[in-house]
Amino acid sequence: MTRRTARRRTALSALLLLAVLAVFLVRLVDIQVVHADTLNAQAEGKRSVEQPILGVRGDIYDANGVLLADSVLRYDVVASPRIAVTSKITPEAAAVALAPITGQDPAAIVAAIRGAVAENPDSDFAFLVKGVDAAQYQQIRDVDVPWLYYSARPSRVYPNGAVAGNLVGFVGSENQAQAGVEYSEDACLAATDGSEVYERSADGVRIPGSTLTTTPAVNGNDLVLTIDRDLQWFVQQTLAAYAQKFGAKWATAVVQEVTTGRLLAVADYPTVDPNDVNATASTDVSALGSRAFTAPFEPGSTFKTLTAASLLDAGVATPGTGVVAGYRFTTPAGADVNDSHWHADQRLTLTGVLIESSNTGMSQLGLRLSSEQRYGYMRAFGLGADTEVGFGGEESGTLGAGPDWDAQSDLATMFGQGLTTTAVQVASIYQTLGNGGVRLPVTLVEGCRLPDGTLTDLPPTEGTRVVSPEAARATVDMLENVATKGWLATQISIDGYRIATKTGTAQQPDGQGGYTDSYLVSLAGLAPADAPRFVVTVSLADPVNMNSSGATAPIFHDVMAHLLTAYSVVPSGSGSPELATTY
Amino acid sequence: MSTALAAPLRRPPSPLRPQGPALPSRAPHIEIVPVRAQRRARPRAVYAGVVVGSLGALMTGQLLLSIAVSDGAYTIDRLQTEQKAQARTVQQLTEDLGRLSSPQFLAQNAEALGMVPNANPVWLRMSDGAVIGAPAPARAGTGVLAAGSLVANDLLAGVPLVTELGTPASGGDAAPGVVTGPQVASQGQPPAPTTR
Repeated sequence: MTRRTARRRTALSALLLLAVLAVFLVRLVDIQVVHADTLNAQAEGKRSVEQPILGVRGDIYDANGVLLADSVLRYDVVASPRIAVTSKITPEAAAVALAPITGQDPAAIVAAIRGAVAENPDSDFAFLVKGVDAAQYQQIRDVDVPWLYYSARPSRVYPNGAVAGNLVGFVGSENQAQAGVEYSEDACLAATDGSEVYERSADGVRIPGSTLTTTPAVNGNDLVLTIDRDLQWFVQQTLAAYAQKFGAKWATAVVQEVTTGRLLAVADYPTVDPNDVNATASTDVSALGSRAFTAPFEPGSTFKTLTAASLLDAGVATPGTGVVAGYRFTTPAGADVNDSHWHADQRLTLTGVLIESSNTGMSQLGLRLSSEQRYGYMRAFGLGADTEVGFGGEESGTLGAGPDWDAQSDLATMFGQGLTTTAVQVASIYQTLGNGGVRLPVTLVEGCRLPDGTLTDLPPTEGTRVVSPEAARATVDMLENVATKGWLATQISIDGYRIATKTGTAQQPDGQGGYTDSYLVSLAGLAPADAPRFVVTVSLADPVNMNSSGATAPIFHDVMAHLLTAYSVVPSGSGSPELATTY
Repeated sequence: MSTALAAPLRRPPSPLRPQGPALPSRAPHIEIVPVRAQRRARPRAVYAGVVVGSLGALMTGQLLLSIAVSDGAYTIDRLQTEQKAQARTVQQLTEDLGRLSSPQFLAQNAEALGMVPNANPVWLRMSDGAVIGAPAPARAGTGVLAAGSLVANDLLAGVPLVTELGTPASGGDAAPGVVTGPQVASQGQPPAPTTR
């Protein structure tokens, strides 16, 4: 070996060595720097599990702290068909034990598992049953089938069923808000799921101190309504009984507190049971919400109260202002108004016009105000706009072309035709008059309650003056005379209390400019009239068995009598003022 | 150490340093060097034993700690499972309580037991003893439920009224079938619900 070859060999070896070193270096950088994150994640994925932390959706309570909507867990049971068919506990054996718990057909369970394997021999996923409650879940666990696994998912129950179901609303199968305050107040109620990643041993036990990342779940806040659950039930039950008796297509009843504007009960017939939405969805989609908010109607004569209050406030009439009310009244502009029944000319005061519910009398008196003035009063009473509640799907009603009504509509809007209002808006008109002319915001939600007990998102409470206290009081006085001298006096009177009411029987539009044969009968009233505390409005749509506002009287009476006793209202101790009806 | 070792000794000739003239700048370096016998006599095994023993103790301690921690992990796991079971029980009982205290159910039970609300309030004025209103007895079948319960509640399907419950002779329980939730789940099998 010469010295040169030796040197060449050394150089070659060094070169080779360097080359190998370079390869290693590149690979090292590749693993440690370039692909470090991917590889780390892969390694973790082999032993770590990510688990969602379920956030709990907030509860819904009534004004007295009664639970209306509760968050619960429901469990989905999933089978691993691949393992099931080779397990010692065969699908057949398990099905016999599980079927009585889940109420399924054992053959269906077996078919689902065998079918999944037939389709895909590696199938690891076949739903056995979805959404079982805690008791069923525990029983299924106790059967101890090794090839079943379970996942919990948040769900909702409504302990009181259809009581306030129209207001509370419901959520979908994935707990997504769909109706009622569940929907409109979702920002308060909604929860955010968190997640955590930890490492676990072969037998599934968490390795101590191995929690890698944790995003905490954020629970939803509780929602507090102004509704009184027991009252709500009573009103719904009473409304439903009479609505069925009179064959009404649908009906609403609203109870509002005069001095606060809070809605104590808003009943709809029919009402959705949020625990069983499909039963209602298949028969009456409109009943999934609350028609008291979502179904505007031409109010008819209950609206004459608003016109009368406007006249008094503007100072162009008093309760004793007289008018000759004939059966028919026409104007040079071409308007043609008549009363519901033929009658000879009557010399009525404004009070008398309300008692007789004379369209011709009200039209003549109403002309003492300009269209703009009357439109201004309507808007001030909250008409033609959504209420402060902002209920899901709420309708604002329409005031037609107001204040530029055509000649006919100009008169019709004085007695509640040619414009539409919701039942809640009508209640708000009477609340304003009962409250000395100050309209308070309609309130359904008391607030969003944080975990520390503080209420946020408080509703507006500032009232607006619509008419003077004197005008409001005088209007209530007139309505008291309607209650005591009107044709329903004996049916609506409650011994010991002064009551102020006005009925309405309004033909409903057919949507093409004309009117149908169906009527919407209604009654709105205040009690005790000497110091009003409650507004009750009742509306029945197309009550075929009694097509007059007489159908609303027993509902109003029962609900108001219940209210006055349930809320321990002291009897009036005085009689209603006596106002002249004729002159 | 023996005192003999402390006695000053002559500096032995260094095996490393070649014999030669001493460097003038260096101070003479003197140190104690034990003789081979002395060196051998030192108790080195003790140190080794101490070290090994300590290591052993440490390892045993760590093992025990590790066992305790994993045991704790199993305890936590068991307790968490138990807590989940208890939470399920609470949930089930809350659900039962909710449906049983719903106004439909209470009203139906009250009516079944013969309690009828009177929609005709009558007042007695304390100041003069005057009776306001016309007293009339509430009659069976005239209450708010006269037309039956018309406010649906799917949760009440199959839940019997108090008057429909079995007589004590048949079961012995005072109210079988009303409370459906499992009892404390950690104490054995929960009873099967009888109402769904």
